[in-house]
Amino acid sequence: MRSTILFSLNGRAVELGADRAGMMLAEYLREQQRLVGTKVVCDEGDCGACTVLKAAPYHASRSKRAPRFLPVNSCIISVAQLDGSSIVTVDALRSGAPPTDAPVGAGSTDALTPVQRAMVDCHASQCGFCTPGFVMALTGLVEKKLRTAPGYPRVISAKDAKNATTGNLCRCTGYQPIIDAAVAIPLDQCQSVEQSLESAPVRRRLALAIQQPVLLDGPDFRFFAPTQLAQLGAFLEKHPSARILAGATDLGVVHNKRKQRLIAAVSLHLIPELHVLEERVHKGTRRLRVGARVTLSEVRDAVKQSVPELASFLDLFASPQIKNQGTLVGNLANASPIGDTSPFLLIAGTTVEVYSPMRAPRQAARRSIPIEQFFLGYRVTALAAGEVITAVEFDLPSARDVVRLQKVSQRIDLDISTVCAAIRATPSRAGRARLGRTVTGVRIAFGGVAATPLRFPRTEHALEGRLIAHALDPELLEIFQSEMTPMGDLRGSSAFRRVAAENLLRKYFRELALEDRP
Amino acid sequence: MSPPRSASSASELPHDSAHTHVAGTSEFIDDRARLAGELEVVVLFSPHAHARIKSIRTEQALAIPGVVAVYCAKDFAHNLWGSIIKDQPLLAEQEVQFVGEAVAIIAAETREAAYRGREAVAVEYEVLPAILSIDEARAARSFIGARRTIERGDATAAFASAPHTLAGQLVLRGADHFYLESQASIVYPHEDGQLEVHSSSQHPTETQHVVAHGLGLPDHDVVCVVKRMGGGFGGKESQAAPFAAYAALVAHRLRRPARIVLNKDDDMIMTGKRNPFQNHYRVAFDDAGRLLALEVDFFSDGGAYADLSTSIMERAMLHADNAYFIPHVKVAGQVCRTNFHPHTAFRGFGGPKGVATIEVILERIAAFLKQDALDLRKLNCYTAEGGRDVTHYDQKLENNCLPQLFAELERSSDYRRRRREIVRSNDQARVTGAPLRGLSLTAVKFGISFTTRFLNQANALVLVHRDGTLQVGTGATEMGQGVNARIAELVARELGLPRSTVRILPTATDRNANTSPTAASSGTDLNGAAALLAARKLKVRLSQLAVALAATPEERWASNTAGLGTQAELGAAGRSDPLDDPNEGADWATGIATYHGVRFADGRVHLAGLPGSPAGPGKRTRRGSISFAALVNEAYLNRISLSEYAHYSIPGLAFDKLAGKGPAFLYFTQGTAVSEVSVDQDSGTVKVLRTDILMDLGRPVNEPLDLGQVSGAFIQGMGWVTTEKLFYDRKGALLSHAPSTYKIPNVQDTPRDFRIRLLGNEENRANVRGTKAAGEPPLLLALSVWTAIGDAVAQSPERDGAWPQLEVPATQEECLRALAPARFWAWERATP
Repeated sequence: MRSTILFSLNGRAVELGADRAGMMLAEYLREQQRLVGTKVVCDEGDCGACTVLKAAPYHASRSKRAPRFLPVNSCIISVAQLDGSSIVTVDALRSGAPPTDAPVGAGSTDALTPVQRAMVDCHASQCGFCTPGFVMALTGLVEKKLRTAPGYPRVISAKDAKNATTGNLCRCTGYQPIIDAAVAIPLDQCQSVEQSLESAPVRRRLALAIQQPVLLDGPDFRFFAPTQLAQLGAFLEKHPSARILAGATDLGVVHNKRKQRLIAAVSLHLIPELHVLEERVHKGTRRLRVGARVTLSEVRDAVKQSVPELASFLDLFASPQIKNQGTLVGNLANASPIGDTSPFLLIAGTTVEVYSPMRAPRQAARRSIPIEQFFLGYRVTALAAGEVITAVEFDLPSARDVVRLQKVSQRIDLDISTVCAAIRATPSRAGRARLGRTVTGVRIAFGGVAATPLRFPRTEHALEGRLIAHALDPELLEIFQSEMTPMGDLRGSSAFRRVAAENLLRKYFRELALEDRP
Repeated sequence: MSPPRSASSASELPHDSAHTHVAGTSEFIDDRARLAGELEVVVLFSPHAHARIKSIRTEQALAIPGVVAVYCAKDFAHNLWGSIIKDQPLLAEQEVQFVGEAVAIIAAETREAAYRGREAVAVEYEVLPAILSIDEARAARSFIGARRTIERGDATAAFASAPHTLAGQLVLRGADHFYLESQASIVYPHEDGQLEVHSSSQHPTETQHVVAHGLGLPDHDVVCVVKRMGGGFGGKESQAAPFAAYAALVAHRLRRPARIVLNKDDDMIMTGKRNPFQNHYRVAFDDAGRLLALEVDFFSDGGAYADLSTSIMERAMLHADNAYFIPHVKVAGQVCRTNFHPHTAFRGFGGPKGVATIEVILERIAAFLKQDALDLRKLNCYTAEGGRDVTHYDQKLENNCLPQLFAELERSSDYRRRRREIVRSNDQARVTGAPLRGLSLTAVKFGISFTTRFLNQANALVLVHRDGTLQVGTGATEMGQGVNARIAELVARELGLPRSTVRILPTATDRNANTSPTAASSGTDLNGAAALLAARKLKVRLSQLAVALAATPEERWASNTAGLGTQAELGAAGRSDPLDDPNEGADWATGIATYHGVRFADGRVHLAGLPGSPAGPGKRTRRGSISFAALVNEAYLNRISLSEYAHYSIPGLAFDKLAGKGPAFLYFTQGTAVSEVSVDQDSGTVKVLRTDILMDLGRPVNEPLDLGQVSGAFIQGMGWVTTEKLFYDRKGALLSHAPSTYKIPNVQDTPRDFRIRLLGNEENRANVRGTKAAGEPPLLLALSVWTAIGDAVAQSPERDGAWPQLEVPATQEECLRALAPARFWAWERATP
């Protein structure tokens, strides 16, 4: 058992105990390391000014290749969560090989990286406050591009540039010069931070360390990271109020905003089985199993071919920084009434796999909850105290299923939904003469229209077997409206949610009907 | 179309801090290293929109480890401040007037302790009725300042005889500045009661004065320094000062350094926004769509205190015409006092509120007459023909590019073809339910000068060092706009030096006193002119010296005689007549002045008779030269001053505020923009598909920096008219106080196709080197997005061409409501 966490900061090993590990990374960088290049604006992961690069712990057993450096928001990651990871901040960026013993933060202004130089040349910085965050987001894009397989073109398109900086706000430039800068980055002159800022001895130390659990036991902060689920029980019994961390992108926010301070936490990042991401066939249906520690970015990449609708929906989910840190299971456990991914899980025959440390080893420690029984009320789930979700498993739609995931938000990208919809149905193979096709297997779920993400069983029942052309009859829409209870809040009025939700349902069947036309 | 800009024009150098910005080494307030003993300051603010303070108990807060002091109103020597009217308490006394009003400040050893201290201060309130809308304020006659009017002709008579009239109301909501660096200040106490204030402020002089007045210190004991801001946009013009005063109070009382750095939530809750407006208008026009008369009654929500709202209102009234000639005009304006944060300057000031009104009027007339709105805009555009080039406040437009801006953008944006295509596309969309598209071309004519005359002055200090490098100090503050780079380029170019030779100093009130805020787009105009005048004064002297040197054998120069006094000194007296016009004596094509035939170029000083270069000493050539550094060194050895101070004030401003008549502005910055949008009929979601901007920015000092102002201002304005919604609860508390809930544009919101071009205009002889101010005007062009949304929504099956009543911002909800009003009403009736 280790009593300190270990991570790499700009190539140097940093070992910390309970007195520092409860700080958020941005605060630690600025206050403890005086690495003040990283800025804090919103303290809630919504502006990207605090972006740093993070490479997840390298579990050699799971992958041949070291994890890539990905942009994350340092303002909402506690230092404890970095155990086993490597961090690179703007302060350390420089071109060329670093001196052998480069002091932390000795960034030189006359040795800018190609990313930084492009930003200068394209006038992509005005007041400068958001700039380090953009530099890191674009450096993350370069890391990705440098791993492009041979044979594929290594270029940065305007679309790449926009997608890579979706999580960064700038109030001065109007973004166009930043897009121009990203496109102008000369990839052939770029060096990966893996080469320039990672040291082999430190990496070896990290790889060894993560095979051991960590327990920090300070007066103000207690933290436990087991390597096996079976180790959980004792800690949770002693600290029943401890929060279970996956990405903790929401817990970091409530901590910063002083709504609930993070004082006792369990992190699951050292447990290998929770990183599972695999497809399997169950009773003739292809299903995807996603472990509790699998990030939304990883899910997005995994479903890009099999469920492109989900992949493009995830493109609108939060920011790259959040998706690189947050998990699908975390989004579910958070039980937000909107919970962008929850409507999809509700229509995809999802099962929630749960481990109950308190019951182990006396009773069966594992159980499985159908998603329909998971949400009990506003932010209340079927999880008992101390239970953790280990994975979720859901159907991959077949080629005949028509799945539509739609989101309505104040701003298209990087925004919480006002209303989001997941609708799935299987149209009949051939239409009846002149009447068109019918639908079966209808599943409808919405977020943002009730205290929990909501299924619409009565609407589904009424639609079952119906002609597409009659799907939107007034009595059906009446049933649909009667199943929801939307509230009005700062994202939209109750009337808006009703009209928008109904429109999304209408749109689904309108589009199906259009396909029916010769 | 005028010819492209001359070779004299813009450099393309990056922002002077670009290389440190990208490296993360640019220093902002909170990046300064903590000094020993430094304290953290946080503000306790009111949770009520209007309440009486019954008691403030601090014992529990003071008992928290690390909490050092809690201060209230009585701890300030003078508690009232205000830029125009001193009506706002630094800390609330008997009553609080808005949610977010500062009540007490807590000083502690750490930020965490200060926050804990804040949670432990117990304030007992008696909640009082609050005024939470313009309508409520009008009903209660709760006003700030008097109602003002500007009139021309006889609007009443014109309405009586007009073929057509339309009337309506336009609601424009506020917007948060969302500068990335929140309000911040650090104050260091020095000996004998002196204070050194570092502030993220657009107005160091006012910050100095508010701190000194608040603490009862003479102005000369407070120095305010501004290195840079992480964005300002008007939000740090007046409202930076009180936060500096809080830190100063702690530093002054405890003799320890004190730092205040607001978090984003507190900043958004406490500070004022763009003034919401509610404008009632009536317009008269003929069958062709020619404007005959306009009446606008402007009402703004000033919030709880005066701040700058009366000036903002004045600018709204002065921009009610925008680009259009209207024979008979009557505009009136009244600021309302409500129980919201005191609203304040925000890029564009009142301008956008005046311009939005006339632009929506033109769209409505076009819809009414079933004409293309662009034709009406061109028909009504200011033009010298027929004397239609005098504003309603009797200022004649000089060098008016508006007709050209309309014609050129119409052509280059392919407006007519795209209009036809959009009409076809919408015919289909009405059937399929696909998104509707809209297209609109709007204009801006933005008056440049503070409407408060005394602010139109600036001073500058130029120091030349013996190695030939310069330091320049002015009252301009750098907030990202590149004013430092522009001033450095103006000075460097005048002296024929590379820009890197000129270092712009942090703005400091002990170097440049009695300065104006960096605001009203005037930073470079005013301070650049002053710096250029100071540089010219030096140039005159150095030129005289060069002439004297050319007549003196080189071996007798001071540098060759070790300055030992073996030779008579060379003199250089400067000019006896004042130098106050930055264009006087300058060659118009290059903007460079030449004195006594001496030419400054390429880091050297050229004059016949000076030693030849690169020939050796003693050898004369016809066109000789010496390096600038060598000349400077000779000047020093001959006891000639190498420092200059200059003052500049804008000439010819004769606007009579009482009469509402006269030249209010030195010149106008003008432009046009055309935006194409799509509006999703199911969700109300807006996408900006393409925007083309054409602006007249005269001859830019630095073109990329100006283009950056255009794209940045446009996108900021686009946020105001689309997604940026301030959501207040029924008790007047702002709930959208962070980026999770307040949505400024992000990178995906930039127009899919975004084209910005500048019109070549060599003829703005009013301003320094023929430049034009760029900071605010492009923001107003974002109204083209808003009118394009209206154009799209008007094409919906339900509206059938009728112009929708859209607020600013036209959020998705606002758009969906306009698309399907009946369904909204049905649900709203069902669920109150």
